[in-house]
Amino acid sequence: MKIKQVLILVLIFAMLPAGFAFAHRVIIFAWVEDGMIYTESSFGSKRKAKDCVITVIDEKGLLIHKGQTDQEGNYSFKIPEKVDSDLILKLDAGTGHQAQWRISKNELVTDHSENDIQVAKDIQAAMKEKEKLEESPFIFKIVGGIGIIFMLALAVKFFKRKIS
Amino acid sequence: MHIAEGVLSGPVLASGAVLAMAGTAIGLKKIDYDRIVHVAILASAFFVASLIHVNVGPASVHLILNGIVGLLLGFAAIPAILTALFLQSVFFQYGGLTALGVNVVVMAAPAVLVHYLFLPLLGKSSTLTFVAGFLSGLLSILCSSLLLGLSLWFTDKNFFETSLVIITAHIPVMIIEGIITGFCVSFLLKVYPEIIPVKKK
Repeated sequence: MKIKQVLILVLIFAMLPAGFAFAHRVIIFAWVEDGMIYTESSFGSKRKAKDCVITVIDEKGLLIHKGQTDQEGNYSFKIPEKVDSDLILKLDAGTGHQAQWRISKNELVTDHSENDIQVAKDIQAAMKEKEKLEESPFIFKIVGGIGIIFMLALAVKFFKRKIS
Repeated sequence: MHIAEGVLSGPVLASGAVLAMAGTAIGLKKIDYDRIVHVAILASAFFVASLIHVNVGPASVHLILNGIVGLLLGFAAIPAILTALFLQSVFFQYGGLTALGVNVVVMAAPAVLVHYLFLPLLGKSSTLTFVAGFLSGLLSILCSSLLLGLSLWFTDKNFFETSLVIITAHIPVMIIEGIITGFCVSFLLKVYPEIIPVKKK
């Protein structure tokens, strides 16, 4: 009997760290280069979002383009013609797991010959934003959430005791 | 399993919110306030479970654990799941805030169901306890998938197609959750029987 108990304990504890390693949130990152829009999609910083649907809409919500990420979580397409609006790229990685990225209409101008430095700066800024997203303090949110749950439970108990 | 913002129609969202509120009121009324810590522990487990993703083939699925929460809490699972889902939505953007009511109904209704179906089996024998836990985990996900399909049907009218896709995608979760719930219940019955309501009687 004891061996069985130990085995169950080991199984539970062995699953915990492995589980947390998979914890993630979905991210989409996009940039404009040489007349193309490139996207990278991932779950956190490590796992690529494979075969996920990317929908491109304009500011009014009209569908402009639709595609699917490859095995590396990448997807690229030509800048759509006759679009005079910011583009919103939505990534759907399953029910409830969505992310989006906005590309302003100024970035969509294909003639960058005079603005190469500005474009490089934009890409650099976008890269920094991507890194920031990936390094979000996930563990603090988990601990904070659990703390809130316990505080609520204690508050409810205190409130109930006061009433009775 | 979480429904995001802007997926469902207004009437479905409103119905979900009303049902969730009613369920929460019943749940708060039925909570044994001496066991409030157990409610918090299981709500925390539910809160964290959805962040645990497992790769199954090309897809990525996550645990839900509404089976064990419902099995051990009964109606008290509704406020526990509501709190956890709200925090998941705010902290991790899992599911929309406007869809919170529907998400609560989708995950908590099967949880309450398995409580009444399988709680009497706990403690009868070690095999029956495991089977009850396994079926709780499996059935809760199956029913949640059907409810999710149903809520999408009221918006989209493709109930069978949608449900089939959702259930198929969740088959690995059903099996994994069944095994986890079975092991957890068996383990808890041995080391911490106070958490299981049947042992109190």
